[in-house]
Parts: sequence; structure tokens; C-alpha cells
Amino acid sequence: MKKVASKWMATGMALLLAVVAGCSQAQPAGTDGTSSSTGTTTPASSDKKETVTLRFATWDTDQMLKIQQDIAKQFEQKNPGVKVQVEAYADGFDQKLVAAFGAKNPPDVMYMWDFPTYNASLEPLDEYVKKDPSVAIDDFYQGLLNYNRFDGKLFGLPAGFSTRVVFYNKKLFNEANVPLPTDNWTWEDFKSAAKKLTVRDKKQYGFAVRSEPDTYDLQQFVWSNGSSFISPDGKAIEGYMNSKETAEALQIFSDLAKDKSALLVGGKNQQSGNDLFKASKLAMYDNGVWSLESYKKANVDFGTVVMPQFPGKPGKGVIATSSVSIAKDSKNKELAWEFLKFFVSSDAIKMRTSDLPVRISVVQEKKLDQDPLYAPFYKTLEQSTDTPAFLLNPHWNEINRNLSAAVNAIMMGQNAEELLNKAVKDSQKFLK
Amino acid sequence: MTVQPKKLKGRAFLTPYLFILPWILGFLAFTLGPMLFSLVMSFFDWPVVGEVTFVGLDNYINMFTDDPLFWQSLWVTIKFALLFVPLNLFIALFLAMMLNQKVKGSGFFRTVFYLPSVISGVALAMIWAWVYDGEYGIFNYLLSLVGITGPDWLNDTSWALVAMVIASLWGQGSMVLIFLAGLKSIPESLYEAASIDGAGAVQKFFRITLPMVSPTILFNLIMTIISAFQQLSLALLLTGGGPLQSTYFYAMYAYDNAFKYFKMGYASANSWFMFAIILVLTFLVFKTSGKWVYYEGDNRRGGEEA
Repeated sequence: MKKVASKWMATGMALLLAVVAGCSQAQPAGTDGTSSSTGTTTPASSDKKETVTLRFATWDTDQMLKIQQDIAKQFEQKNPGVKVQVEAYADGFDQKLVAAFGAKNPPDVMYMWDFPTYNASLEPLDEYVKKDPSVAIDDFYQGLLNYNRFDGKLFGLPAGFSTRVVFYNKKLFNEANVPLPTDNWTWEDFKSAAKKLTVRDKKQYGFAVRSEPDTYDLQQFVWSNGSSFISPDGKAIEGYMNSKETAEALQIFSDLAKDKSALLVGGKNQQSGNDLFKASKLAMYDNGVWSLESYKKANVDFGTVVMPQFPGKPGKGVIATSSVSIAKDSKNKELAWEFLKFFVSSDAIKMRTSDLPVRISVVQEKKLDQDPLYAPFYKTLEQSTDTPAFLLNPHWNEINRNLSAAVNAIMMGQNAEELLNKAVKDSQKFLK
Repeated sequence: MTVQPKKLKGRAFLTPYLFILPWILGFLAFTLGPMLFSLVMSFFDWPVVGEVTFVGLDNYINMFTDDPLFWQSLWVTIKFALLFVPLNLFIALFLAMMLNQKVKGSGFFRTVFYLPSVISGVALAMIWAWVYDGEYGIFNYLLSLVGITGPDWLNDTSWALVAMVIASLWGQGSMVLIFLAGLKSIPESLYEAASIDGAGAVQKFFRITLPMVSPTILFNLIMTIISAFQQLSLALLLTGGGPLQSTYFYAMYAYDNAFKYFKMGYASANSWFMFAIILVLTFLVFKTSGKWVYYEGDNRRGGEEA
């Protein structure tokens, strides 16, 4: 029996190997039946029946995804014979994108922000912009374009963005007789407001501190206090990440949580500041534009205002961007560029109602920079001239691991300077 | 002793293999194949995007010598296992014994206890997020009714891991059912005989029930150890490993290395080390099981009965 079995096993193994070999062969060629996308057809093809499929990957879901599908549909109408396949990767965006790049079968156009990680796989756009003035590159806010450059090259075009502002609940402010915040308020104003707005018995808080904030978002406070996580050339963290000013900026939040004028909100799906703000349990919350619509829907009477300042120092902002890029391995680069151009055109940007317009002309036309709810976002954008740390050092991911751990501990009430010194010490090895 | 099975020839030999062929192919392509592939990967620097380079044992060496997170996450996992494994077994056995009572409505409770196992882990995590909220959660509200001020469970370094243990105990329905099946298979005559001899409930439990379900305990023990070491989804969804990495499980550490930092080779090395730990623990449990597991009709312990 043993002999027979081994014979069958050998056959089975051979079969398996054949299957595996077949798969691995099909991949680089990209011509097997499964890849309907990156076909070998070209837009110049004379055969009219042939359609070209352009793959577009996005991380958005729900309403925002719907808007992008509509933009894609419009593009299809304007370009007969082109089909745009919108691939919604949602939360798994990075995982799926990395896998697609690794398999040399990436989408032609994709949402992008992490240029240090992906730049080697992306098409530099400087030549396209130079050759094609119809993209009107000067119409984009300069601050946004800066976030799309890596190593001096432009790798993406901004499609939408948000800066961070303080949302405040007018009703709670009035109830507590606290004057509404203004554009030149300071952190002292902020702290005293938070204290007065906290009513323990009603489980109402002045502010919510995230126990594990994204260090990316914290940069604007550190910048505003005249420091930074990393030197402007991206080579040093000693004296930056652990400077007195950095510690001071982070300590503000920790102190708020400690004296209970702010609630510590944490983890991933735990009670979020968002929910509390919607329930009018929170007087102030710092956030991007994403939640604005939901606050309106929740019938909260709220306003927005720029972040508080450190006395005598200019306020600084950090931007969250949604950009679009073209894959280096795309087989339809010209078509991809056309799609990119359409995606960031005034028409398409006007359709994007769930984040902020990136074109100066659109903002002026819609008078958004004068709208009391939206103006603080643009005011902060003007202050967003610093370069975030991850664009300055390719090893920021690893350094950030140590920094995040330190920030987490600071928010939980431990000594900021000590922890930042340790984070710097642990991260030095990544700077070489 | 055992009867030699008749040797099958030709079609008769082939047919059963054809029937399980889909499973075999699936196993080879989606389980064994990727496993072996990851073993190969563990000797490479494999960033997915970019160059793949052979680094020999560097990944394994780095892990032990130059990565505090490795030790931290391993320690968290061991602490979790030390709390979770005994509690889980004890409570599952206890519940099974309660369900084994001949009372009205036991069928209903069997369903109730099994129900959480049907709910997906993600949904369960969402529910626990509400339950555990320090300020507005139902758990602390219930505690406040009896005059206890509950901690901020998921934001408190000393309670977050305990919260994970409690939430994990929730999904033990299948284990309860397995215990119940074990309990049902104990012949009633043993208890009757013991009653006649004047044994009390405690004696019956330790002299009859426990030895008779010991094979089931062995099975459940091993399964619990494995699931304790592979704990991932709860922390991933509930705390993200925090606060201060107090719930940063080893599986999450490997997950982060693979899917957050895209160090596939390193993550493969992490995973194979975990495989080794589980293998060793399982081996140890089996090795000692001869001393405490009783098999009916087993001659090793039963002496000269046969």
C-alpha cells in the first residue's frame, strides 16, 4: 500500500507544482484571463469596439466613494471607449496597494499621500505638468503641492484636503457664560475655557484628548511652539523631538486630561470624541472637515475656529491630503494623465462636497474663504508651510513607533521630557 | 491487536481520494503552500515594494537582540495566556456541568451560551467597546449600582489586559458544548454505584467526573493555549495594542510588522517563532498528559484488567 500511496502522492505533487508554476508564469505577463484590466490595448487603437479599462484605486467608502464613481462616470462620457474601474480598497488600502505593486499589477491611478513609501513605484509628474498647461498648476494652493513632492519631484496632484480646526459647541459656551473663541486666542484662553465648560455631574467635558493621537496631527502644535519633531534636513532628532518646546506643546493635552477639564478618549473603536461632540457632551474638539456634515445632521449648534496660539508665536497648521498619482507600471500612462487631470479639474472638484476644494479659483467662486464655518480651514492652510516629518526622513515609520509610544505615555500622565529623551535615544539607530 | 484494513485496489483505492481531492488541493495551495513560502521568506528582507535580499538568520537574530517590542509583546501574550487559559477551562467546565443538570429550559441556555460564538469577532469587539467605556459604558454603570466606581477599562494600563481576558471568555460557547458532550458520555451507572457507596457530590466530581472528562480537558486545554497565543482581533479592534502597549499581543506585533510596516520577512520570522512556542507548549502538555488524563479501556493505567 505504501508504494501505491507514494505514487499517488508524487502525482499530486506534480499536479500542484504545475498549478503553481502556471500561476507564477501568468503573473508577469499579465495576459491571463483574470486581468481584464491592464490589457494590451491602446487608446490609439483604430478598432472602435475595443474599450480600454483604466483602474482607479481609492480608500474612500460611502458618500465619498459615490462622488468618485460619479466623477469616473463623467470621464467615461467625455472619453468614449474608456471604462474606469473604480476599486474601493477602504481600510485595507495600503495592504492591497502594496500587494498590487509587489505583483507588478498596480491600478493605473490611485489615491496617494505616503510618497516616501511609494515614490519608487510612482510616475513623476513634472514633465506632464510642463507639457500640459491645461492642468493649471498655479491654481492649486502652494502648501498642498508641497505635500506632493518628494526628493524635489512632484508625484501627485491634490484632489482634496483638510486642515485641523477647533469645533466648538455654541450652546454650551453660552450656558457657561464663556466668550466664544476668536482667531487670536491663546492656549491659556483654551485651558480656562475647557475648565469652565467641564461639568462633571452632567458628564460634560471641555475637550477630549486622544490617548493615542496620531503624531502626524500633533506636529502643528509643536511647530506652533517653534519646534519640530525632526530637523529641517531630516537628519537629526536630538534637540528637536526632545526639545523643551516640543515637550511643552504635548504637555498641554496631558495636563488637560490630568485636571479633568478634558476626557481621555482612546483606542480604536472606543467612545470617540466625535460621538460625544454630536451628543453635546463635549464643548470643544479638534478635527478635520470630515465630521462637519455629521455635526450638522446631529443638530449641534457649532462653530469652527483656528487652533489656539502660543503667545508671541505664529500659528502653524498640518494638512491631511488626498492626492492622486499614476503608477510607474501603468500601461496607459497618457490616458491615466487625462483621467488625473479631469479628477483635479474645477468641474470634478466642485463635485467633491465631502472635503475641501484644492483650487484657488473654486474657493473664490464659492466664497468658502469667507464662510464662517470654512474660513478657519483656509486660514490654517495659509499657515501650513512646514514639511511634515515623514516627508523628511525615509525611516520615519520606525522612529515614529518610538515617538508614538512616548506620546501615548505622555497623554496618560507621565513626564514628557523623560519620555521624549528616551524616544530620541531609541530612535538614533534609524537615522544612520 | 488491531485488525489490518483490507487493501484496496484500482478504482476502489482511488475513489475516496478523489472525494477529498478538493480539500487536499485547498490545503496545499492555501495552507501548506503559504506556510512553506513564509518559512522561505523569513530568511529574506522582503519589503514587498522594492528589492528582496537574502539575510540568512538576521531576522531571527534581530528579533532576540535588537527589538524591545518583541519581548514586550511576548510578555503581554504570556500574561494573557496565564490568566485566560485556566479561567477559560474552569468556566467552560462549570457552565457545561450546569447545563448537564436535568432541569427545565437547559436547552434554551445551551443556545444562549453558544450564541456569542456565532457573532463575528468584529461585531463582538464593537459591542465590548460600548460596554467598557469608562465614562458612558454599561459595565461601569452596573458597577456603580452596587457602589463600585469602575476603572476606565480600556484606557487604564492595569485593567486593559483584564478587560481583554473577560471579553475573550465570552466566546467560549463551542468549548462548553465539547465539555457537555464529554459529560454526557459518562455512564450514569458510575454515579449510581458511587451513590450506593455513599459518595458525596464533591467526591463524585473529583473521583468520577474529572477523570472521565480529562481527555476532553486535554483537548480543550490545547485549543485554548493555541487561541490564547493567537489572540489578535480583540486588541486590534478595541485598543490598537494600547494603552502603553499593555495589550500589544504577539500576533498583533507580527501583524504590524507585516501589514503596517511591510517587513514581510521579519514578520514571517516572528510567526515561525510563535509556531515554535505553540509546538513546544503542545508537546509539553502531551508529555505530561499521561499523568493526569484517564482513558477508558486504556491498559497503561488500568493494570491487568484485560
